[in-house]
Amino acid sequence: MTRTEPVGLDHPADPVDDAAPPPVGRAGTWGLTWHGVRTVAVLDLRQRVRSTRWIVALVVWFVVVGGITLLTTGALSEFGSADRSPNSGPILFAAVTALVLGLGLLVTPTLSSTAVNGDRNAGTLATLQVTLLTPAEIATGKLLAAWSAACAFLVTSLPFLVLALTMGGTPAQALVRVVLLVALLLLAVCGVGLGFSALVARTAGSTVLAFITVAAVTVLTPILFGLTYAATTTVEQVTVWGTQNGYGQVGSSDTCEVFTAERGLTHTERTWWLLGINPFVVVADGAGTAELAPGVEGNPLSVIRDGVRELRAGPAPMLDECWNGTSTPVEIRDDLRKDVSTAPVWPWGLGANLLLGVAGFVVAVRRLRIPQRNLARGTRVA
Amino acid sequence: MTSIVDDDGPAAGPPPGAAPGPSTSGSPTPPAGIVVRGLRRSFGSVHALDGVDLQARAGAVTALVGPNGSGKTTLLLVLAGLLVPDSGDVRIGGFDPVADGRSARARTGWMPDTFGTWDSLTSREVLLTFAAAYRIPPAQARTRVDELLATVHLTEFADRPASVLSRGQKQRLGLARALVHSPDVLLLDEPASGLDPRSRVDLRLLLRRLADEGRTVLVSSHVLSELEEMADDAVFLSRGRTVSSSVDSSGPAPRTWHLRALALDAATAWLTSVGMTWRPDDDSLTPPRPVPGGVLLELDGDESAARLLRDAVAAGVPVLSFAPATGLLEQAYLALDEERT
Repeated sequence: MTRTEPVGLDHPADPVDDAAPPPVGRAGTWGLTWHGVRTVAVLDLRQRVRSTRWIVALVVWFVVVGGITLLTTGALSEFGSADRSPNSGPILFAAVTALVLGLGLLVTPTLSSTAVNGDRNAGTLATLQVTLLTPAEIATGKLLAAWSAACAFLVTSLPFLVLALTMGGTPAQALVRVVLLVALLLLAVCGVGLGFSALVARTAGSTVLAFITVAAVTVLTPILFGLTYAATTTVEQVTVWGTQNGYGQVGSSDTCEVFTAERGLTHTERTWWLLGINPFVVVADGAGTAELAPGVEGNPLSVIRDGVRELRAGPAPMLDECWNGTSTPVEIRDDLRKDVSTAPVWPWGLGANLLLGVAGFVVAVRRLRIPQRNLARGTRVA
Repeated sequence: MTSIVDDDGPAAGPPPGAAPGPSTSGSPTPPAGIVVRGLRRSFGSVHALDGVDLQARAGAVTALVGPNGSGKTTLLLVLAGLLVPDSGDVRIGGFDPVADGRSARARTGWMPDTFGTWDSLTSREVLLTFAAAYRIPPAQARTRVDELLATVHLTEFADRPASVLSRGQKQRLGLARALVHSPDVLLLDEPASGLDPRSRVDLRLLLRRLADEGRTVLVSSHVLSELEEMADDAVFLSRGRTVSSSVDSSGPAPRTWHLRALALDAATAWLTSVGMTWRPDDDSLTPPRPVPGGVLLELDGDESAARLLRDAVAAGVPVLSFAPATGLLEQAYLALDEERT
């Protein structure tokens, strides 16, 4: 009888034994803790910093951006010595912005496009998956690591943006806005790269696909816009302000009047969004340069912004074909002027880019779930 | 009052010996260990697992034996919670790795056959990363990692990048990684490959100790003599099926023995005189000469082996060594191979 009691003593010890393994919550695929994300991000960044010529890459970047900035400065002072003071600052700012964004879009896809399949090929992914890290934590950690690397390049280019700022003509706020917009666009690119790295078995394949996506958004969109330009042009009955017999010639004696005629109208309001999702347009539109410095003309960023907003408005309700100097009557002035909305384009463009990034991220999380049901052709789990 | 005295008796008795581990912590929790029933998994038209049944006891080392491509690695992937089986039932320490993956994974230590390392990280960083991934508090993790590095004899490499480690050292790091969260169930895929003899002995002792602590250890390996020395049970896998899950060492099974003598001709002469059939162990066709050499004999059961040795020594045969030519596992494995072909 008394013998059974010592055996019973083992039972209180059992819960202690069960408590020894770390507390396991019911966190599923999307469970996210800062601890888990940081663990993966630190792991990825450590590897990246130590195994790649990281410092060399940053130095090369600094030299390239710096060199082009200085060359641009030199060129500006050479050609525009007369009106140097108002224009060279904004032009340089626009040039450095475009350069940083362009190079950023070129470098960033490689930062995340091998994150998942590279680890899988190295045999390190599965060992991480079997831990208590959730798929969302692994994906977020990798995304954060890639984005931090991209932001390091951005930070390296800051001195040159500041330099352009000191040349005047650009509000300081534009610097903040440009840096934030570029950083967010690069985050989207990181997300896209991550998605492809989880989707494709080979690292070369995922990198190419990430580059193609970035190229489609940056290069293909203006080309498509140009190609669809003719398709959006339709012949319609429109009201025209001009001379009936032929176009109002300069100095002709005919007086301008309002009449209806057939004209080809290009409805860019249907295709402007192709330009709107372009990262360069997003940054130019969101930089907020001109309205803060109204005296400055020829600011490239403002030109792009105003151009896209004008294309978004489409054709004006009445065509102005009166070039013979007749003064426009007050009552039709509003019809001749396009009603160009000042509503910003960049939130849509940025949103579209971020949506691509989010899609990539979601794909990555879903592909990191274990246990796996399907295996991609030719992949090993471990 | 008397019960206290009684308490001391059994409680004080077992601890000095290492053995009581399984008896105290293993028996009160019956569902521990690994239980697999009717497991099937195919990749396309390839049936990697085609009906696997196995049970690995807590507190024992279970060997997983089978030819290349027999499904060992796939089985371990399913057990580790990385692959969904097509059908069948799996319990790891009482948890289903599919339905309750996190609970199962928290108790499972898995060491893959190819352990990739983050080459630029030091051994210590690798282990600390995994400790963090298993949500072990940092202070506790540091002591645990130091302990593990000492266990696998990598303390002097602790702060060097993993890229300088040799294959065997990486393998040991992989083992330490699988142990970082003190798992109840250990799944080891070819842990001995690449290890030097000293490390193999260490591995054997470590796995033995882990099993004695009441953990479940499932080891797959090709080095059958290794497995034989550490395994309590064996599971044979062939073409995705469990062929048999025990080694029958009790009955008098016919077995090949190897006899080495100082003078081979004397040994063969005596063997022939007592009517034993023998064959040379090196396939040489030259008749036995008075030089050291060995022969192979077929004997049924340990009894007849003991009798033969006694008689040989009594007859003045200069016996150098007399031992089974193959391990039990190897013999069972080869028998399996014969069945298959």
